[in-house]
Amino acid sequence: MLEAPSPDGPSDPLGFEVEVQSSYVGGGSVEREGIDVDLDNEWNFSARLLILPRTPVGILRLGAEYEIYDFDIPDNIQVPDRLQALMFIVGLDTKLSDSLLLRFEARPGFYSGDKIEGGDFNVPFLLGGTYLYSSTLQFVFGIGVDFEGEYMVLPGGGVRWKFAPQWVLNATAPTPRLEYEVNNHLMIYAGGELRGKNYRVDNDFVGDPGDPGDLNNAIVRYLEVRTGAGVAWKIGDVGKLSFEAGYVPFRSFNYHRTEVRWHSDGGGFYGAATLKLAF
Amino acid sequence: MSAVILTGRTFVRVLALVAFVGGGTPLARADAVAELAGFSIFPKADLAELSKSESKPVRSGSTGNARYLSVQTAYVVPGPPAGVLAKMRSWNPARYPELKVYLHSESATDFSRLQSAPANSAISYLVSATAQQSSDLQLSAAERKQLAGAGTAGAGGMAGTVAGFWAKILGGRAQAFASGGSAAQPPYENATSPVRPSDELSGLLRGQEKIRRQFAGLLDGTGIGRGGGSLKPDMYWELLNADEKGVLTLGASYDRTGAGGSIQVANALYYASGGYYAGITLQQLWPVEIEGRASALVWRGDMISSASVGSLRGIERIAAESTMIKDIARVVALFRRDAAGAR
Repeated sequence: MLEAPSPDGPSDPLGFEVEVQSSYVGGGSVEREGIDVDLDNEWNFSARLLILPRTPVGILRLGAEYEIYDFDIPDNIQVPDRLQALMFIVGLDTKLSDSLLLRFEARPGFYSGDKIEGGDFNVPFLLGGTYLYSSTLQFVFGIGVDFEGEYMVLPGGGVRWKFAPQWVLNATAPTPRLEYEVNNHLMIYAGGELRGKNYRVDNDFVGDPGDPGDLNNAIVRYLEVRTGAGVAWKIGDVGKLSFEAGYVPFRSFNYHRTEVRWHSDGGGFYGAATLKLAF
Repeated sequence: MSAVILTGRTFVRVLALVAFVGGGTPLARADAVAELAGFSIFPKADLAELSKSESKPVRSGSTGNARYLSVQTAYVVPGPPAGVLAKMRSWNPARYPELKVYLHSESATDFSRLQSAPANSAISYLVSATAQQSSDLQLSAAERKQLAGAGTAGAGGMAGTVAGFWAKILGGRAQAFASGGSAAQPPYENATSPVRPSDELSGLLRGQEKIRRQFAGLLDGTGIGRGGGSLKPDMYWELLNADEKGVLTLGASYDRTGAGGSIQVANALYYASGGYYAGITLQQLWPVEIEGRASALVWRGDMISSASVGSLRGIERIAAESTMIKDIARVVALFRRDAAGAR
C-alpha cells in the first residue's frame, strides 16, 4: 500500500471566480383573491466573488454574493417591490472516492426586503453529490436546507449526459439545459431555470392597506421559473459571456406562515446577460 | 430550492494510451522505496501490498498553470524491469475498446492506417471538423491553409482526402520532432493567442520540480520541452477519443537504464489535433524481489495540459481530476493483467 500522499508536493494555483449577472423581465402578473398585481418591470442583478483555495480535504469555497430583485409595482400592496440578499459563501468541494464527489455550501447572510436589517439573517445551505458513472454520464443529487422555508428540506438532482460529440443533456436542477457546442468557444443552449429564496420583508412593510402591518417582518418565498435559450462565448482561457432570452411562465410570492399566497397570473419575457471569469 | 447542484461540466479524457515503453542486480527494497519517496508524492510504500492490490493513482499538485493536471501512481509488476519494459513497448492500447484508442501505430512516417479508421460519432466529428475547417482543430496558420484541400466528409470512417490531409500534417510534425524536438513544433494558432506544445511540455515539467530533477538525466537527452536531444526516440501516432471527439496525436518515447538496474522512461505527447495541448508520462522501474520473485516497482507520473481544464474550478476540477485518475487506473490495471498473464 502507499502511504497518504506527501503534503510537500507542488501547491496548486489559488482559484478565483467572479460572476456578474443582470436580467430584465417585462410583463406578467400575480393574483390573489381576484386582485391582480402587474409586474410590468422586473430588474434582477447579482454579483458573486469566490476564492477557491485547495486544502488537503478538498477545495474550499469562500466568498460573498449580492442579489437584488426590483419590481416596478404600486405601493401599499402585499407584494414587495424589492427583495435582496447579501450573503457570505462558505463551502467545500471534495470527494469520497474517484466516482463520488460532494459539495457542502452554506450561505449565511441577510435575506431582506427594501432594507437590510439584523433580523433578516439566515443560513440556508445545501449538500449535494455527483456520481461519475463515466466521463459522459453523471448523476447529480442533493438537498437544500432552509429553516425559514415552508419545506425546510427540498431535494434536487438530475443527470448530465454527453450523448454526442457536441451535445450535452444537462438535466440538473436548478438549471436543466440541452447544450450544443458549436465549437470550443461557442455554445448554444435551451432550457429552464428555477429561482427561489426565502426573504424577510421589512419591519415597516405596509402590505395590505386594509390590514396594515399584518405582514411586517414576514417571511416570503419568491419563486420564479424561466424558460429560454441562450448563447455562451468563451473569452480566452478565463472568461465566459452569456446572453439568454425567453419567457417567465411562473412567479409567486408566498407568505407561507400567514397563508398569503400571490400566484402567477400571466408570464413575461426576459433577457439576461452573464459574465463569468475564472482565474 | 436555491440549491446549486453539482455538475462536472467538462471532462478531459486522458492519454490513457501512452504507449508504455522502455536488468541488473535488484535494489534492496528499502533503496527503491527511499528513492521513490525522494521525488514522488508517496512517502512510504509497502511493496508486498502493492504487488497484490490495485493501483490507486492520486492527484498531484501542479504549480504554474490552471490548465495542467497531474496524477501519480505506483505499482508492482512481476518480472525484472527490462522484461517489464519490453512488455510496455509491445503493449497496444488499441486492443482494449474501453480505452477508446482506435488506432495505434509505431511509426512516424506511415499513416496509411488512417484510411481504416472506424465509423463512429467521434471519428465523424473529426472528419466533419476537418471538412468544415473548424477553428477547433489545433493547427498552425500554414497547416490551416492546407485545410482547404482536405475534402468533404463522407459517410463513415475517414475519407481519402481527409486521411491524406492528416497524414501530411502528422508526417510533417513527426519529422520536425525527430530533427528538432518539441521546440521545432509549429504553434497551435487556432486559439486566441498561439500555443506552443513545447512551452506546454516544459511548463508541465517546471510545475513538478522534484520529478523534473529525478528525470533530468534522461530528459536532458530528449526532445521533450526543448530542441532535439542526443537520444533517439521511439515515435508513434494514435487516433483516439478525447471527450467523445476523435483526436489525432503524435508521441515519442525515450528510456535509459540507471544505477542498480532501474530504468527511466519518458513519453511525450507533443501534438494533438484537439482535446489537450500536450502531455508527459514519466515512469521509473526498480528491480525488487517480492516473495522471492523478481519484480519491478513502477512509479508513473502523468501530466497533461488542456485548455478545457483551464477554466475549471471547484468540483468541476475535482471531476476532471477524478476522470483522469480513473483512466490511468484502467490503463495500469489492463497492463498489469497482461504483464502478469504473459509471464
